[in-house]
Amino acid sequence: MKRPLGAGKKAGAADGKTIDPFRLPRDRAFWRETLAAYWYLIPAFLVLGTFVFYPFFSAFKLSLFKWSSLNPPGTFIGFENYRYIFHDKYFWRAMGHTFYYVGITVPVTLALSILVATLLNQGLRFLSFARTSFFLSYISPVVAMAMVWRWMYNVDYGLINYFLSFFHIDAIAWLNDPRYSLPAVILLSVWHYVGYQAIILLAGMQSIEQQYYDAAKVDGASGFQTWWKVTVPLLSPQIFFVFIISLIGSFKVFTEINVLLSGPGPLRSAETLVYYIIRSSGRIDHATNHIGRAAAASVVLFGIIFVFTIIQLTLTQKRVHYD
Amino acid sequence: MLRKLTLVGLAAVMLFGMAAIAQEPVTIEFWHAMSSGHQPNLQKLVDDFHAAYPYITVTLVYQGNYGALQGKIDAAVVAKNLPAIAQVYENWVTPIASILYPIGNFMTDAEKADIIDGLVPSNTYNGVLTTVPFNKSIMVMYYNKSLVTTPPTTWAEFLELAKALTVDVDGDGKIDRYGTAFRPAANPEQFLIFLEQAGGSILNADWTEVTLNNDAGKAAVEFVGSLIPFSYITSEYMSDHIKDAAMFVDTSAGIGYNVKAATNAGFELGVATLPAGPANFNSMIQGTNLAVFNTENLTQAQKDAAVLLAKFLIRPENTVFWAEKSGYQPVVKSAYNTQEWLNWVATHDYQIQMSEQMLNSFSQILHPNYGDMRNVLSSGFDEIMRGVVPPLEGLESMAAEIEALLE
Repeated sequence: MKRPLGAGKKAGAADGKTIDPFRLPRDRAFWRETLAAYWYLIPAFLVLGTFVFYPFFSAFKLSLFKWSSLNPPGTFIGFENYRYIFHDKYFWRAMGHTFYYVGITVPVTLALSILVATLLNQGLRFLSFARTSFFLSYISPVVAMAMVWRWMYNVDYGLINYFLSFFHIDAIAWLNDPRYSLPAVILLSVWHYVGYQAIILLAGMQSIEQQYYDAAKVDGASGFQTWWKVTVPLLSPQIFFVFIISLIGSFKVFTEINVLLSGPGPLRSAETLVYYIIRSSGRIDHATNHIGRAAAASVVLFGIIFVFTIIQLTLTQKRVHYD
Repeated sequence: MLRKLTLVGLAAVMLFGMAAIAQEPVTIEFWHAMSSGHQPNLQKLVDDFHAAYPYITVTLVYQGNYGALQGKIDAAVVAKNLPAIAQVYENWVTPIASILYPIGNFMTDAEKADIIDGLVPSNTYNGVLTTVPFNKSIMVMYYNKSLVTTPPTTWAEFLELAKALTVDVDGDGKIDRYGTAFRPAANPEQFLIFLEQAGGSILNADWTEVTLNNDAGKAAVEFVGSLIPFSYITSEYMSDHIKDAAMFVDTSAGIGYNVKAATNAGFELGVATLPAGPANFNSMIQGTNLAVFNTENLTQAQKDAAVLLAKFLIRPENTVFWAEKSGYQPVVKSAYNTQEWLNWVATHDYQIQMSEQMLNSFSQILHPNYGDMRNVLSSGFDEIMRGVVPPLEGLESMAAEIEALLE
C-alpha cells in the first residue's frame, strides 16, 4: 500500500543526489505522457462525472432550495431543509433503524461468510456445486427473493414459524410486529449477501500460497492456529474489501424493506434513511414531493458513509496485509 | 342575391376550411399506470376512439406503477415535455394546477352534472372542473357470509357484531378470529371514512384551519378506539388475512383477490354498504383522474384531441365497459341506468352495494400538502390502532402535525 519511495532514493544515492519519483523533470515526454493519460481517463471521467459527481453536487445544491416543479429548483432557503430534517422525529428514527440494521447485518454477514468460505476451502468433493449454491442467493433478484421470504415469514403457514414450533416457540408475526420487522429484514439480507462475500473470500483463500501453510505445519501449528495466524491475516485485503462494500451497501438498504414489508413496517419500525429519502421525495404513497428535504437527507447519508469509510481506511490500513 | 350567394360561399369555404383543419392528423400520448391486465381493455377503448375520430392517434404509454408515473410527470414538468393527457392523483397536480387545461370548459352543463357528486370537488380547481374521474374504486364492507347473516347498518351494530365475532376458538387464551380488521398504516382512508360519517373533515372549507380534532373528529376516533380490542391490525392486504376477521372495510378494487382468498378458505364473501355514523354512511373514493396539460410543447390540436379523449372515456357506455373489465366503478350517474350495466349488476350482485356506495361518497381534498397529511394520518392511525397512544391523544397529535403543514 505504501509508495515505493525507497527505490527512487536508492537509485539516486550513487551520484549523491536524491530523486523524488513524484517530481520528475517536466520535459516534452512528460507532458506527452500526461496528456495521453488524460485521454485515457476521459471516458471514465465522463461516466463518473455524469452519473456520480454531477448528481452529488446537484443534490447538495437542491438541498438548499424549497423545490418547485414549475420553477425548478425553486426558492433558495439556505439550510432550512437541514433544520427541518434535524427536527423531524422520523428522520432520527430512520437514522436509528439504519444504524441498527448496519450494526448487525455487516458484522454478522462477514463472520458467516468467513466461516462459509473456510468450510468451502476444505477441499469439498462438490466444491463447485456448493459454491454455486451459495452464490445463487446473491444472483437471485431482490424483489423475487423478498416475495419468497414473505411466505417464509407468514405467521400462520410460514416455514420459519414452522421450524420454531419444533422448539415450542410461539408463532411470531415477523412482518406485523414492530419488534420483529427489522430483524426480519436483517435475516433476509444476511442470507442474501453471505454467498457473495463468501465467494470473494474463498477466491482470496485459494490464492494464499501453500508455502505459508507448509511453514506453519513445520512449526507445529494446529488447524485453528494456522487459520487464525495465516489464513485470516493474508485474507485481510479481501475481508477489508467486502467489509467496505457491505457497509456502504447496508447504509443504502431499501428494496428489501419495501418489498418484504410492503412499506416501512408497522409503526414505521423499519424505515431506514434511504426509505425516508424516497418518501420525502414523494415517490411513495402519492406523497408530497419535498425534493429539497430528500436531497438534504441524502447529503447527510453521504456524510455518514464518507466518515465511516475514512475511519475504516485509517484503522484497517495498519492491519491489512497485501503480501 | 349576389350578396347572399357570397355569404353562403364564404360560409361554405369556412366550414370546409375548418373541417380540413380539424381533419389534420394529430398524435397524442396518454401516460398511464394500468398494468398488463388492464391494458387490452384500455387499448380497446382507444381503438374505439380512433374509430370515432380517425384523424387522432393516441399512443398509450405505460409508465409503471403510480409512483413511477408521478415521478415521470414531475420530471416532464421540469423538462417542459408533458404528454397531452395522463392519469393523475388529485394532489399530484394541485401544485401545477396552473398548467392544466380545464376539460370542464369543453363540457356541457348536462355532462358536468352527470359526474358522480362525490367526484366533483376532487376534480375542481379554483372553481373550474379541470380534470375528470377515470379509474375509481370505493371502500365497502366485506363480510364472511357464514358468520354474518345481516351486515351492520349503524356504528352501534358494527361494534356489537365485532365484539360478538371476536373469539378464541381453541381456548388457548389467544384470539383466533377478530370481529373486524384494519390496515391503518397502509389505509388511513379507513379513519377518514369514520371522520366523514361523523360529519367531520381534516380542514375547514377554505383550508385555513384544522378541524380534525373537533367534536366530529373526537367521535370518530373514540369509535375506532372502541373497536381496537375486536380488530385485527395488519399492514398487509386483507386477502392475506381473510380468515383473521369476520368483516372488514376494504376497496372495491380488491374484490377479485378477496373473493378468491375466501373461496380458498372455504367460505363465501358478502359485500355491503358501510354502517352509518351520526351524519351519513358515505365512503371514500380512491383512484386517478385524467388531466390534459396546457404547456408550450403541445399544440392546440393536441390539447383539443386530449379533451375529446377524456370526454370519450367517461361516456356512459365506455365507463361501463371499463368498470366491467377492470373492477373499477362507473364515474357518471347515467352509466348506472344503462341496460348494459343493469345486465352486469344482475349477474354480479355485489355491484348493487358498490353502486349504492359509489353514489354516497367523498374524495380526498385537493390541498397541495395532502400527501404529507396522509402520511401523518397513516402514522397516527397506526399508533392509535396498535395501542401505542390513547385515541384522543393520538387525534390531538395528528391535528398538531397537520396544523404545521398549513404554514
